[in-house]
Amino acid sequence: MSERYDAVVIGAGPNGLAAAALLAKRGRKTMVVERREMVGGLAASEEFHPGYRTSGVLHDTSGLRPWVVAALELDKHGLVRRPDPPPVLVPQREGPGLVLWRDPQRAAEELAALSPGAPERYADYRAFVARLDPVFQRLTAGPPPDLFDPGAAGLLSLGRPAFALRRLGRRRFAEVLRVMPTCVADWLGERFESELLKAALAAPAIWSTYTGPRSAGSTTNLLLAETTAGTPVAGGARGLVAALERAAAAHGVEILTSSPVDQLRVRDGRVVGVRLGSGERIEAPAVLASCDPKRLFLRHLPPELLTHRLGRDVANLRTRGTAAKIDLALSAYPEFACRPGLVAESIRTGESLEEQERAFDAVKYRRFSERPILDVQVPTVEASGPTSELAPTGHHVFSILVHFAPYRLDVDGAAGSDPAADPERGWSEEQRERLYQAVMRVLAGYAPGIEGLVVGRRVLTPRDFESQYGVTGGHLHHGEHAIDQLLVRPTPETARYRTPYPGLYLCGSGSHPGGGLTCAPGVLGARAALAG
Amino acid sequence: MSRRYDAVVVGGGHNGLICAAYLARAGRKVLVVERRHLLGGSAVTEELYPGFKFSVCSYVVSLFRPSIIRDLELPRHGMEILPLETAFTPLPGDRGLCRWADAERSRREISRFSARDAEIYPEFSLTMTRAAQLVRDVIDSPAPDPLSWDPRELLRLLRLGRKLRSGGSETMHLNLKLLTMSAVDFLDMWFESDVLKAPMSVSGIIGTYQGVRSPGTAYVLLHHYMGEIDGAFRSWGYSKGGTGGVSLACARAAEGFGAEIRTEATVERVQLRNGRATGVVLAGGEEIEARTVVSSCDPRLTFFGLVGEEHLDPEFTAQIQRYKLRGSSGKVNLAVDRLPRFFGREGSAHLRGDVAIAPGIDYLERAFDDAKYGAFSRRPYINVVIPSIMDPSVAPPGKHIISMFVQYAPYHLAEGAESWPDQREAFGDAVVETLAEYCPGLEESILFRQVLTPWDLEQEYGLTEGNIFQGELSLEQLLFQRPAAGWSRYRTPVRSLWMCGSGTHPGGGIMGAPGQLAAAALLRSGEL
Repeated sequence: MSERYDAVVIGAGPNGLAAAALLAKRGRKTMVVERREMVGGLAASEEFHPGYRTSGVLHDTSGLRPWVVAALELDKHGLVRRPDPPPVLVPQREGPGLVLWRDPQRAAEELAALSPGAPERYADYRAFVARLDPVFQRLTAGPPPDLFDPGAAGLLSLGRPAFALRRLGRRRFAEVLRVMPTCVADWLGERFESELLKAALAAPAIWSTYTGPRSAGSTTNLLLAETTAGTPVAGGARGLVAALERAAAAHGVEILTSSPVDQLRVRDGRVVGVRLGSGERIEAPAVLASCDPKRLFLRHLPPELLTHRLGRDVANLRTRGTAAKIDLALSAYPEFACRPGLVAESIRTGESLEEQERAFDAVKYRRFSERPILDVQVPTVEASGPTSELAPTGHHVFSILVHFAPYRLDVDGAAGSDPAADPERGWSEEQRERLYQAVMRVLAGYAPGIEGLVVGRRVLTPRDFESQYGVTGGHLHHGEHAIDQLLVRPTPETARYRTPYPGLYLCGSGSHPGGGLTCAPGVLGARAALAG
Repeated sequence: MSRRYDAVVVGGGHNGLICAAYLARAGRKVLVVERRHLLGGSAVTEELYPGFKFSVCSYVVSLFRPSIIRDLELPRHGMEILPLETAFTPLPGDRGLCRWADAERSRREISRFSARDAEIYPEFSLTMTRAAQLVRDVIDSPAPDPLSWDPRELLRLLRLGRKLRSGGSETMHLNLKLLTMSAVDFLDMWFESDVLKAPMSVSGIIGTYQGVRSPGTAYVLLHHYMGEIDGAFRSWGYSKGGTGGVSLACARAAEGFGAEIRTEATVERVQLRNGRATGVVLAGGEEIEARTVVSSCDPRLTFFGLVGEEHLDPEFTAQIQRYKLRGSSGKVNLAVDRLPRFFGREGSAHLRGDVAIAPGIDYLERAFDDAKYGAFSRRPYINVVIPSIMDPSVAPPGKHIISMFVQYAPYHLAEGAESWPDQREAFGDAVVETLAEYCPGLEESILFRQVLTPWDLEQEYGLTEGNIFQGELSLEQLLFQRPAAGWSRYRTPVRSLWMCGSGTHPGGGIMGAPGQLAAAALLRSGEL
């Protein structure tokens, strides 16, 4: 290709599209190259059974940052945010279950039935989170503080968040410092009595992590999830991707699908473009990578350029995928025995912290949970918007993130084998079927007869995330959300989107503030490139 | 008694005695009162079986502050530390892995399991030794308090921050990882062999309610490298004559400076007048007056047992209620008539240190899983020491003491803590059976067995919930938050009542730092 671009973005997932849209909006001639035949990455809506489409592997759009929407003017490109988050159904096998609203007033009636003091305690919890909200929003709305710069600028970038936290008042500041290293089981245990409620609140802290509710530091994940949650995008992940695509197109971004990158092109130490798998070369003075850091530095960078330090730090990133995805095509909405007639859009299974902890235990021994905990979204419930195109009228799609399922699966206690080296081992068809059956057992325990409604399915394991979506280790966040990997993400030399290679920038979930459909790393990475 | 003391110290464990010694050394009139008939608290030697002197609870000395040894002239008072020379990990049916003071010998042993690990091992030790400097800085001074607006505190924070940053980004990144990662994840960055990683990882879980894969456990790895700074292979050692020897030396030092010590004197409560501590009341009604009371008991016992909730404000009460003490370990002590024999190893050279029953990461993690759900580990991690090899004075000739620290034995059993007496022997059996898998014939050599569960540690030694460190050593209970935010400087909300036990900064283990730092704070306060 003879045309020159100002920037090439690797990967057309939400972060890649957001980065490209911002670059183009600022007048940079931008090209996006995508391995897959479609855009959207882990948020892509795909037909998995004739007439049924998924709502992305990642299906929660409530983390999309308002300042991203503003920066890209996504509302002008069709993005609509729903006024409220839908309530979550936490079903019980014996007992009425819980329908949990975020708004404490709407939640009060259900909570009162759980335990007498629960509504006040929940209101108190929400009030605490609401006070932290602006501080955490601010912390994740810009580049991370520079821990390593010994100069005044570095000190200032550290001082600012510290000062913001202190301004919460002594008691709240003390509480934040105290609880962040703790586990959610202990912290929620101090605040609530009901096991069902504790489990419902703890769930987002452990999804897609290598932690159970008793793992230290899980409270940090909970606070991050709670304080950055807004309301979902109308149409879910599909609606988000559509708006990003329109914004990109409006500013003239070109997107090349079915075009995997083979290697970065480097001249005199500067990254000057990419070479595609087809051999085609694309020249650009700036390359922004939304793929995960391991893939970028260990596969796409010419190996002779990788320094010892960066190579070691990147190899040390913990990217153990722990979630699987199952999409179900259903001929009707199943009936939950604890709530006859209820049509819930969001369902969380896991009736107690112990059930969650036991589900996590499995993955430590490289097995999947026999009784996994499920994060279910039913995008077809949403009344209006493009989700109605996901299934025939009256039919439904269950979008299920399954926790926990390891990347390296040991079968019959055999030692962990590298699935890349030994594809026959581990996640065989038989094991995939067993995982599916385990999920169906959990669902059928709450909604008897659901098996009879299934007309189609898609089962994706962490290994499939790697082979189909290109995420190393099958990790949906491009790296675990653990305190060390949140504060310095992904490595000290690359924590602020720049890399030791001039012209190369990071703009994916492997960078601050991390994974999920936030589009924040995309915009922040693009800003770094624009400034550079 | 009409005599009035400057300070009465509650509890004659090593921290209480050290605190008393420093106060007496500064010319203050000090009394130590101990509930039991002998001194030492958990650092105690008892002849439980004729001729066998057991270090009943605490069995190795770790990180004991060299400055205390100097200041109190402890060697003159009979303290002698015999450094541990080996770290042996037996395996069933295999000669296992023994690490020695001799680096080349260790390399050969490790290379049986992984040549790569054997090469990296010295580099790892060097890196950790450098990082351990930081720990030393932290445990030798009071913790800076980020909650305070006092400019002096801000200055301390800045100074600590500068020190942290002075090592450059690589060191800082390492420190960040050490503070927050799990021991296993941290070791995974370096090593591949399970047989090497498992015994190394356990240092992160001793006395905690965490597993080796629990985040936040990596930091304690550093403790094992502290000794390198003082030029020893390991910073851990036996006290000659048993652990009680440390306490007795501290007691003699204290008495040498003029402190009085009373045993079999149970403190019933702290006497309060107008919200100020004015002494203690003993069981039987005797009142001892003092200008200050210094408690070496754990915070829960101090405030809810000796002071009483009604004298505390609700916020502080809530803080102490939240303070986590869940004991997770037990002790099994054996008197045996011969040395245990491990597979493929003759003699006793490999036993001149500690023996870790930690054959793999999954094994350790499963042991923790049992505890999480309220049971003692069916196959526990055991830290075995045979002090009679290096110190023949503790057992009759040819006979030996096997001291086993066992994890996990959770205080809160699913059936309730009070069911421990019914499960005690089953727990002891599980421990002996486990060890016997590594040294067949062990059972026949046993002359005497003592089993201490967390329940027993609470009943006999006054450790709430049987926690050997007087509170979990987790990040939210360390530094300026030990035992509670705003109260990490040995002072308490009760005027003239001070703390000096392991429940204060820098925490548990036989290091003596809390007693030393508390005495310094009290002397500086002007209250005496």
